[in-house]
Amino acid sequence: MCVCVCVCVFDDRAWYPLGRIIGGTIYPGLMVTSAAIYHILNWLHISIDVRNVCVFLAPLFSSFTTIVTYHLAKELKSPGAGLVAAVMIAIVPGYISRSVAGSYDNEGIAIFCMLLTYYMWIKAVKTGTLFWSTMAALAYFYMVSSWGGYVFLINIIPLHVLTLMITGRFSHRVYVAYSSLYVIGTILSMQISFVGFQPVSTSEHMGAFGVFGLCQIHAFVDYVRSHLNKNQFDTLFRAVISTIAAAGVLTLAVLAALGKIAPWTGRFYSLLDPSYAKNNIPIIASVSEHQPTAWSSFYFDLQMLTFMFPVGLYFCFSNLTDENIFIILYGVLSIYFAGVMVRLMLVLAPVMCILSGIAVSSLLSTYMKQIDDVKVEKKKQRFEGNYFMRSEIATLFVCVMSVFLVMYTLHCTWVTSEAYSSPSIVLSARGHDGSRIIFDDFREAYYWLRHNTPEDAKVMSWWDYGYQITAMANRTILVDNNTWNNTHISRVGQAMASSEDKAYQIMRELDVDYVLVIFGGLTGYSSDDINKFLWMVRIGGSTDKGTHIKEHDYYTPAGEFRVDKEGSPTLLNCLMYKMCYYRFGQVYTEGGKPPGYDRVRNVEIGNKDFELDVLEEAYTTEHWIVRIYKVKDLPNRGA
Amino acid sequence: MLRLLVLSLCVAATVATNTLVLVDTLATRETHSIFLKSLQERGHEVSVKAADDPSLQLSRYGEYLYQNLVILAPGVEEFGGALSVETIVEFVDGGGNVLVAGSRDAADLIRELVTEVGVEMDEEGAAVIDHLHYDANDDGQHTLIAAPSSGLIESDVMVGPSEGTPILYRGTGLITDAENPLVLPVLRAPSTSYCYNPTHAITDYPHATGQNMLLVAALQARNNARVVVSGSLEFFSDAFIMASVQTPQGSFHERSGNGKVVEALSRWVFKEEGVLRVVSIDHHLEGEKIPPAAYTIKQDVEYKIKVERLVAGSWKPFNTTDLQMEFVRIDPFVRLTMTPNSEGVFSVTFMVPDVYGVYQFKVEYNRVGFTRLFNTTQVSVRPFTHLEYERFIECAYPYYASAISMMVGVFFFSLVFLHHKDPAPKSKAE
Repeated sequence: MCVCVCVCVFDDRAWYPLGRIIGGTIYPGLMVTSAAIYHILNWLHISIDVRNVCVFLAPLFSSFTTIVTYHLAKELKSPGAGLVAAVMIAIVPGYISRSVAGSYDNEGIAIFCMLLTYYMWIKAVKTGTLFWSTMAALAYFYMVSSWGGYVFLINIIPLHVLTLMITGRFSHRVYVAYSSLYVIGTILSMQISFVGFQPVSTSEHMGAFGVFGLCQIHAFVDYVRSHLNKNQFDTLFRAVISTIAAAGVLTLAVLAALGKIAPWTGRFYSLLDPSYAKNNIPIIASVSEHQPTAWSSFYFDLQMLTFMFPVGLYFCFSNLTDENIFIILYGVLSIYFAGVMVRLMLVLAPVMCILSGIAVSSLLSTYMKQIDDVKVEKKKQRFEGNYFMRSEIATLFVCVMSVFLVMYTLHCTWVTSEAYSSPSIVLSARGHDGSRIIFDDFREAYYWLRHNTPEDAKVMSWWDYGYQITAMANRTILVDNNTWNNTHISRVGQAMASSEDKAYQIMRELDVDYVLVIFGGLTGYSSDDINKFLWMVRIGGSTDKGTHIKEHDYYTPAGEFRVDKEGSPTLLNCLMYKMCYYRFGQVYTEGGKPPGYDRVRNVEIGNKDFELDVLEEAYTTEHWIVRIYKVKDLPNRGA
Repeated sequence: MLRLLVLSLCVAATVATNTLVLVDTLATRETHSIFLKSLQERGHEVSVKAADDPSLQLSRYGEYLYQNLVILAPGVEEFGGALSVETIVEFVDGGGNVLVAGSRDAADLIRELVTEVGVEMDEEGAAVIDHLHYDANDDGQHTLIAAPSSGLIESDVMVGPSEGTPILYRGTGLITDAENPLVLPVLRAPSTSYCYNPTHAITDYPHATGQNMLLVAALQARNNARVVVSGSLEFFSDAFIMASVQTPQGSFHERSGNGKVVEALSRWVFKEEGVLRVVSIDHHLEGEKIPPAAYTIKQDVEYKIKVERLVAGSWKPFNTTDLQMEFVRIDPFVRLTMTPNSEGVFSVTFMVPDVYGVYQFKVEYNRVGFTRLFNTTQVSVRPFTHLEYERFIECAYPYYASAISMMVGVFFFSLVFLHHKDPAPKSKAE
């Protein structure tokens, strides 16, 4: 409704009836960036639609990423390494998934911001100037404004500093770089209203604060040491250290007990302990991107980078500098995190490219020298005996490396065209005769809503479809992809998982007019609401009001989730089941199978002939993928 | 002015209510003449037809020909024309009012019809019997009940002011659906009564006994359509209206209470009484005229609602002290009683709660006998924008002080640092 970009916009079309403060629940970086580009271009009289800006924002930023990767790798190793790394990140599938045209997502610009911050940080550590550390703080601020992943950044930089301290590499350059980055960066990050006071209150940020304190102490100790003799210094040092440690632990304990330091939030726990979120926070675990990564997807998204990565690490270790320590830390940590969550593959991809770039460039420059450098051969006659067919082996090696690089290019192109470049709102499948079948049911349903329901109608659906309904159907929705309020999502989950009567109470309480479900049983579209249903049950049962919803009620006695005759009666009579399978029992879906044969679960459904009491079918799309129901009014003549 | 008056008279004339009366035999027209005549006197276009008349129809081209339907035909086996139980139920759902009278021998059709409105007639042949509350004219079976007026529902709008005269009744007993919250007990049977076939020996426990049994029931549907069901056709008859009552306890009344009750009840069921409407709603910030696009938390808001009541055919300002307004977001955050003025405008001023969201001004007024007054208006309540917070907070003064002192300190420090010069070191020679 209101298009101005300011933090005070209040959205009353989503999260009915709670509403949502847009500025307080999103990272504004993406919107601010696109609005800025839009205004600047129009100010220059380059007329462009804001939608086009949004569509092309991700590709634009991915090209910025390529440039900044070059500079980063150049700082770490050499211009050659920079070039290879830049080429690699330009096509790496793990990053292309977020940078194709039309992907308008926080991550699209966040990866650029992250690499930019790293670049500035390396510069700051190398030069030790206020200029570069302030630039790093500004880049960090941009990162904070665009993605929640900034927490990774504010932990890895202090870790770098800590490692430098432990390895005895702490210097005035590091002191200046980190102290100014931390202070300016923290103050700036608190200006983002979604972040607010988190940088000084939650435990994810405490590491950075602790290292900041250590920096001061370390610098002070160095100063004192330069003025005292060794014995005096040792005595003083011991006394002070023990006092400070005791006081620090005590303060932390008191603050944590008083709740001044927020307990470790779920998202972060799930990074350290992959089973934490699954056991405790269903809404985090339910997102497929938060699932642990399969080994195959490492290869799928990174291909040759997976085995060039250790080579790159070797080269970094072989020439240990302050900045190489940073990239080693970054690589090792992000590979761990990427193993925990698929989503963090995105954080891993750039460092993989940089390290592989270093590796490939170092290897090539080593062997290229050997191919036909006849002069060197003659000069270093003494060593010649050690090398057997030096030139030939070098040539062979270069060839093999070239083959690898060509394979990498082919793989990336293939993955991109197969997996990352089709729209998710229009589905396609192959028919029996090999022809292409297009399922345009989502748009069909959303346009139906747009044209056939009252403008103030409230639509209830699972949160995955919230943004789409808002944008394409222009109707008020209860929950959407900005999952800022678990209780409300849980309420919707309870409605879906309850029997019709109980669901009706919830729906009336929330003024629901229409309910929308996604059903794939007819077409075999497997990410439908029945397959997501267990998450609705878990999320629904995770709050106080939903304690009557227990996950095991929806399983068979043998502990299986099935929708056929063996399925649990609770499941076969809940609202979601009834909405998905209403009238489905009379439909023949596949030759040689009984009516009501579900092509996703590959079973004949268990509860076929039922009527809906509190809902009436309003619309079902061509392939039954989207089904919309209208909530009936109370009966006119009483019960 | 005069033209306007004429015009409004014309309008009043054209909105005469059409009432269809269905009878078993046309003799009913004579036996119930007082009731029918009172309808005509009140401006109803009464058309009396036999219930099996093949030309019967309630609607034509999707519009109802009648606003009210009276079924004084307990014996009808099948309705004539386009009429059926379904069409009558549809008629109720479409806003029409129905008055149904049954009897001991009411046909299945009538029984089916009344179950649709949440009332059940006792089985065929059963009659209400009371050995303590019967009239002297009874034939010995004690089925001519003189029901004490204490059984009447406490609502002047529905049954008129109570006068204490017993009400004559002969017919079957009614049982209501306990789960239907919309059914009203207009006249309860005396506690000593029961319902059974008077010619049979009692072999099993009667279905309906005492106060659980109703003689007259009413239903006000959610669309405000009204239905009255009586188990006795004679309840509305001239004979009962004109009769005197002599109870076994010895009290004598010149006239039965039927006349008054029938009059009041028919006024109620045909929506001549107890009808309210919302004329206009107005909400705005206190001291302003038009509502803003969205309210901000903690603002003072004034809400006004104008309610009118139908009195003798014209709308008059409604006056009550118990009309409440709720400000609801799932739960009511504010619930206040509104104060009326002489023009029927109820108003209240309150502060929007300190919780943002999408709220509804909700007025819900359900009183026995009155139509359901229900009105919601949706408004958004947004939080403060960054400009609207307090600029300086008293308790933050120490922080302001520390910030300013820091700035001053740094300023002087840099001044000193830049312009201070150590005295030149003494030369080694010295």
